[in-house]
Amino acid sequence: MYNGGDEIFIGDTTPKRVKAYVLENNEWRDTGTGFCVGRLEKSDVENDDALHAFLVVNNEDAPEEVLLKSRLEGNIEYQRQEETLIVWKDLTGHDIALSFEESVGCDVLCEFVVQVQRKLEPNISLVAVKSTDNGVGSVHEIITGPVTLPSRDWKQDETSLLEALRILNENVAFDFLKNETIEFVLRTNYLDILIKHFYESERQRLPRDLLLLGSIVKTLILYNQRDILEQMVADDRIMGIVGILEYDTEFPTSKANHRECLDSYGPGFKEVIPIDNTDLKAIIKKCFRLQFLKDVVLVRFLDDHNFNLIVDIILDLETCIVDFLQVDPFLDKLMELYDDDKKFKDEFPENELPEKRKGGIKLLHQCVQMSKGLDPIDKSKFYKTLVRKPLFKVLDYAFRVETDDSVRILATDTIITIIEHDILLIHSVQHEKKHHEASGIQKQQGQSSEDGKPTAKDMSLLLILSTILLTDKSPGLKEQVAQALNTLLHPEGCFGTESDFDDSPPRNGRGSTDFISDFNYDLQMTPEEMEGNVGYLNGASGTSPDLLMVEYFSNFYSQVAPILFAPLIRKNGNPPANELQGRDNSSLIHLVKFVSFTCTEHDRRLSRQFVLEHGLLDSVSELIGPSHSLQLRLTAVRCLKNIMCLDDDYYYRYMISKELFKPILGLLEENLYEDNLANSCIQDFFKIIASNCLNVREEVGLSAYSYIVFKTTNFTLLKTHLIEKYGSLLEKTRYIKFVDDLLRYHEEQTISEENFIRIKPRSGSMGAGDPTDEDNKSAKRPHSELDPHGLQDSDPSMGERSVTFKRALDKFNRVDSSSSAIFGEILRE
Amino acid sequence: MFDLDRIISLLRQGRHIAEETVYTLCLLSQELLMNESNVTHVNTPVTICGDIHGQLHDLLTLFEKSGGIEKSRYIFLGDFVDRGFYSLESFLLLLCYKLRYPDRITLIRGNHETRQITKVYGFYDEIMRKYGNSNVWRYCCEVFDYLSLGAIVNQSVFCVHGGLSPDVMTIDEIRSVDRKQEVPHEGAMCDLLWSDPDDVDTWSLSPRGAGFLFGGQQVQEFLSRNGVDLIARAHQLVMEGYKEMFDNGLVTVWSAPNYCYRCGNVAAVLRIDDDLSRSYTIFEAVQPQNDVGNTILPTRKPQMDYFL
Repeated sequence: MYNGGDEIFIGDTTPKRVKAYVLENNEWRDTGTGFCVGRLEKSDVENDDALHAFLVVNNEDAPEEVLLKSRLEGNIEYQRQEETLIVWKDLTGHDIALSFEESVGCDVLCEFVVQVQRKLEPNISLVAVKSTDNGVGSVHEIITGPVTLPSRDWKQDETSLLEALRILNENVAFDFLKNETIEFVLRTNYLDILIKHFYESERQRLPRDLLLLGSIVKTLILYNQRDILEQMVADDRIMGIVGILEYDTEFPTSKANHRECLDSYGPGFKEVIPIDNTDLKAIIKKCFRLQFLKDVVLVRFLDDHNFNLIVDIILDLETCIVDFLQVDPFLDKLMELYDDDKKFKDEFPENELPEKRKGGIKLLHQCVQMSKGLDPIDKSKFYKTLVRKPLFKVLDYAFRVETDDSVRILATDTIITIIEHDILLIHSVQHEKKHHEASGIQKQQGQSSEDGKPTAKDMSLLLILSTILLTDKSPGLKEQVAQALNTLLHPEGCFGTESDFDDSPPRNGRGSTDFISDFNYDLQMTPEEMEGNVGYLNGASGTSPDLLMVEYFSNFYSQVAPILFAPLIRKNGNPPANELQGRDNSSLIHLVKFVSFTCTEHDRRLSRQFVLEHGLLDSVSELIGPSHSLQLRLTAVRCLKNIMCLDDDYYYRYMISKELFKPILGLLEENLYEDNLANSCIQDFFKIIASNCLNVREEVGLSAYSYIVFKTTNFTLLKTHLIEKYGSLLEKTRYIKFVDDLLRYHEEQTISEENFIRIKPRSGSMGAGDPTDEDNKSAKRPHSELDPHGLQDSDPSMGERSVTFKRALDKFNRVDSSSSAIFGEILRE
Repeated sequence: MFDLDRIISLLRQGRHIAEETVYTLCLLSQELLMNESNVTHVNTPVTICGDIHGQLHDLLTLFEKSGGIEKSRYIFLGDFVDRGFYSLESFLLLLCYKLRYPDRITLIRGNHETRQITKVYGFYDEIMRKYGNSNVWRYCCEVFDYLSLGAIVNQSVFCVHGGLSPDVMTIDEIRSVDRKQEVPHEGAMCDLLWSDPDDVDTWSLSPRGAGFLFGGQQVQEFLSRNGVDLIARAHQLVMEGYKEMFDNGLVTVWSAPNYCYRCGNVAAVLRIDDDLSRSYTIFEAVQPQNDVGNTILPTRKPQMDYFL
């Protein structure tokens, strides 16, 4: 088909140095060294004016002497072996080999053979033969040669289809044949021929033809070629192709109903707002159809390569769609649906507006869902565009006005996707807006209503979400909102990681971000003062994300937390009136998890001040009581466990003095001899205390004079508190290894204390009241490796002399020993 | 009224279950599961089953070939979801059986029963496809947190999804794990769900990135320390359905035939009788038939509702 006939011109190749061999009696005979050219010339045969192609080698010593002249003709197969050898058998049966001095020379002559095959002698072929990597056997790769292609006759039948299937299956195995076949399918109307015959076969009820057509189309899909796939899903072919694929040799007696299925999605778009751009429409359709092929029609058939190719194409198209949406006025029009004062009389009847608005939320959700697979930079760009439009108008409508849960869930999901991608994106867009306003730059359209709602101070999203969490009835929505809040309130959320929200223990080394520690805050600072300060700092350095975070979180505690935690908040120490009883279980479970979350993940000073001032832990403790559901009670126990693991002096002092652990012992009593989750949960509680107590138990001195040092830590204080208060119950629980450990440790300590003279009794329960270093101490969960340094006393490098001295005294008191050696060490310190 | 038998029959046909129904099912299951211990005690005779991975139709075959829930007791070693096309139906069916016959079925947590893993290996996507939002996935994940970590049959067969842990010397110690949490990345709970037996001399790093590899010596020590004869676990594909190792001190049971619809393996379940004798039942994958075969994806509406 490439034989152009009379317009052939192939120039002589440049001479290349070569040795020519001929096979005689199974041995290669060297016929001499010379220069090889490929050229076209007329043959010696009379009356033949046509040009023929030859490989000619002239002796290097005597250029006029022809060592070899061989015509390229018939169906000769030329083999290029390794880099420098061309070997073939001519039509007279002679085996000939050319061994080139350089591989470049071989390249030139191979290219000549390719040209001749294309233009003059379509039936010759060139095959590269290379030995495999392991040296055993060889690989053949066709470089050029005759390609057998399926019949392009409009009149097809079983025989021609069977032949086509055979050819297509054979050709797919070699790259050269495969590429030629792909060219053939793309440049001809082969798909249309198949589709025409398909309708014909359905009409005439030719089951064998139908099954063959199915196999042919599937084979073409296995060619794994983007352009073929795109041709298949074109408007005028998709129904035919999908129809053909309803017939499958695996289920020869039945037929799928893909066409019906595809039809059921309606004849065209569901267009909330008409899309004017026809290119965009085409891309969207293509994208949908490919997904339909991938997820429905070919779901059992695709292998990983096909699957990935289709996924890649879809992703590519999706990127196009998203790019398009950002420059098209489409989104602006969509947002206008949510303008309260705009009238749509001209476009559609007033009573369709609620449905249109629902549709708009679904559409936006779909756009954002679709964007999930995109490149992060593209995603950021798209989401920023959405937030600028502004997206909040839509969400506000969804949460305030819309009553359909399924639609509201989609709205939350949209927010979650955006904030999980980049928590600061929303703030940064709002910030940039404020910046624009401040510098008098012309406002964008539709933005005037946003005046006076600046940046990180804007807590409206958090407030909306908090309200939903507390009041909404839909459990699914609540779960989603809890996750959204969790992401929004996670100091590390901006990295888009860690979105799990559950009872997992606080992780060492992360957790409370210390973002204001440098500012030397006084603990007693009021929220107002704090906000003032933060405002000042923020004003000073503008856009720093860190400072934005400081402002954001202090605003959270002053504006949102009082509402979010309202059901748990105690005023003047009084329990919240009826709040705990009236609330439904799942809201409370979420709230208790949030208490745990803020305590462990937020800046310690900020969260602790809020939690302690509002008596949240008292309420959490109360929720462990028997009138609540077991899920809630255990969630509350876990919250206290997580706070225990913080090893925070203030929390310990508070929890012990208020006896907040009492309900845990009550729960233990209820489940004393049960083997259930409650019992396990409490065993874990004792495991944390026991392993942390045993961690600081140290044997000191030489063997003859060794004694045990009982340091005082938050955990040992808690241990003593528990044993003194609930000793008799714990005695009954000695079957729990960790309770037994604690009791034995306690007994050992008591005996040891009786044997030594106490120099000075420890005053109060608060010893090393060093408020700035508790973040450095990381309480270890019991399964971690034992770390003798993990619970060492506070870092001694705190500047103030008085503190050091006080700590020395404390340490002295804690050690409770009369050893002069220890005494000396402490004095030195 | 909540009609469990009707839901079971719908599930067995792979039919759609309403979101609210799933929510109720999950709540009821939580309440039931939280009264179970981390290591459940089970009596013989019992049938121990390995990974299911959403192959609902093969799960039905499993029950058919091994006596059925109406007549026999079962322990499932986890990995109910991911990979296959019917994760939700498989998991819910097991939950329904649990609610319907609480004493006859024990469900152990596998490493796939977590939020993180299901987001990657199919269950999450399946839910998005079937419901259009992720609520049902959240409900199920909440139930995952309540599943047992192991079981012990007649004080002599220890059942667990993955294997042993250097942090677990005695079975009794497992009791002090507060299991209601996402599976952590290290520690006893993680190892029980992730570890694999291998030809190693001591605890070794696992190529999976979680859990450990443990060898014959660790197994023998564990068996004698705890006075049990056998560790039954799943977690690894076995072409023959089951594989005994370490002088028959450990067995891997695999119950997903033709895993991922392409591995070509057979599946097995292990029955422990009153005399503690072991017998294996081998079964093959359901042949795909129109609308019934295990490889046919239920086609709810594709996500692009508004674009065509």
